[in-house]
Amino acid sequence: MSIPGLLHSITEPFSYAFMQRALLSCALIGFTNGFLGTFVILRRQALLTDALSHSLLPGLAVAAILVGLSPGGLLLGGLLAALLVALGGQLIARNSRLKDETAVAALYIIAFALGILLLRYARVKVDLVHFLFGNILGVGNGDLLISYGAAVLTFGILVPFQRPVLLTLFDTSVARASGIRTGWIEAGLLALIVLALVASLQAVGVLLSLGLLILPAATAYLMTDSFSRMLWGSAVLGMAGAVAGLLLSFLANIPSGPCIVLVLALFLAVSYLLSPRHGVLVRFFRGRHLHEESLRRWTGHEGHDHDLPGRS
Amino acid sequence: MRTELHHDPLLVVEDLTVSYNRVPAIHHLSFSLGRGHCTGIFGPNGAGKSTLLKSIAGLMRPETGRIMIGSRELPKAAPLIAYLPQRESVDWDFPVTVRGLVEMGRYHHAGLMRAFSKKDDEAVDGALELFGLTELACRQIKELSGGQQQRSFLARAWAQEADLYLLDEPFAGLDRGSSSNLAAALRTLAGRGKLLLVSHHALSEAVDLFDTAILLNGEMVACGPTAETLSPRNLECAYGTAVYSGHHHHDHR
Repeated sequence: MSIPGLLHSITEPFSYAFMQRALLSCALIGFTNGFLGTFVILRRQALLTDALSHSLLPGLAVAAILVGLSPGGLLLGGLLAALLVALGGQLIARNSRLKDETAVAALYIIAFALGILLLRYARVKVDLVHFLFGNILGVGNGDLLISYGAAVLTFGILVPFQRPVLLTLFDTSVARASGIRTGWIEAGLLALIVLALVASLQAVGVLLSLGLLILPAATAYLMTDSFSRMLWGSAVLGMAGAVAGLLLSFLANIPSGPCIVLVLALFLAVSYLLSPRHGVLVRFFRGRHLHEESLRRWTGHEGHDHDLPGRS
Repeated sequence: MRTELHHDPLLVVEDLTVSYNRVPAIHHLSFSLGRGHCTGIFGPNGAGKSTLLKSIAGLMRPETGRIMIGSRELPKAAPLIAYLPQRESVDWDFPVTVRGLVEMGRYHHAGLMRAFSKKDDEAVDGALELFGLTELACRQIKELSGGQQQRSFLARAWAQEADLYLLDEPFAGLDRGSSSNLAAALRTLAGRGKLLLVSHHALSEAVDLFDTAILLNGEMVACGPTAETLSPRNLECAYGTAVYSGHHHHDHR
């Protein structure tokens, strides 16, 4: 390929209006979801978030039946359905022998089944694949506006409250003892996560939105030991992965959703294997300083702080 | 029973009863403690040691009675209290360094958004130095020994400028060297006018570790200087009779 030809194939995607909107939308959703993903990972709620993403369906179906495919209606319906499942799970766990993860799993399967049934009665045809992977190339200005709104709300709340949120994430009981309203913070985080899922529904669908919540944050978690670096690093990774995946899908003419997920998966695989401190391969080849570690274990001395296993 | 140990107490507990599901775990406890004491809480399993610490920390709502810290009641007194959780309840993989952990102690001084002032930074540096952690400041918290981990949490409490330290079984799982190291750190804190309340299950080294003691078995058995409190007669009373826990026995978690 000649150099002008190469240049053309790189700049070509940016010349279409639908592609510009798609790229902008990917960047926004990738950044917001990547940022929020840190909270999902550190609270160990990846599977809960997965459950919530599927329980949006009956809310969307009811909204579609009542008001058609208006973005506002879908947003409200999905939000209500997910909150019902999350709160219902807590309620059942508190009042019965069932543990909360069983209760939430049961409720989300029920909700999903209900949603598929209800979709039959929606006046408009809603495609299940659309629900899972969205339609990034069909993003309209209204969808972009919703993504803007979700991003503004997320950063507008979580950046100022970063300190109490960090204390709550690290140790809920200590945070509560120091006077922080941990219940409100946990509920607020959950609401923002559901909002992120619903707001990106039209563009990327719940599965891809979930991927953008979990994969970049898991990658960042393996790369750094600093909370704020994980927070912003995950946001940047989410944005970069989404944009790169979309461009790749355009150039190779393959479906965009799976392509974005696979780019994010590549990031995760690289950090899983090669992260300087926590990478599996790196740890394997660095070897263990067995004699030093066993020495410390047997003598129990703390005087030799400087001789601790060479991790740094 | 009311036990006065100090004419100007930092912590006053009056008629405190705390229940799990309406079954009391501690009954009508009253005592007061002044600054500069390292106090051990002793008693058999289910005696209410953790419950007492948690209710002073404000994590459990009292059924009867009240808790005063520096003549303030709880929500207002929260900044004066540092609660150190049991080791198992900490996520040691959390992305935070020793320095980051100690900085958390300054958050309520710095407020929501304000950047750390010089005073905040000095408080963090001072806390790291006091507990011998300066050289470990950049380590992630999992890369420390058990004793260093405990000292990091003490350093956070110091940076917070807390007056009352609540420690739940801090010696559990520490080897001998780390134990004596932690004991020295606790003595340093008491020497600087802090009040420490420490739940502890072994009686053997009690006199070396604590100057005062509280002996529980659901109710107050004795409270005062360690040697007197842990007399054979009191111990017989605490450990010899079954713990009273309402209508039926249950786990105290």
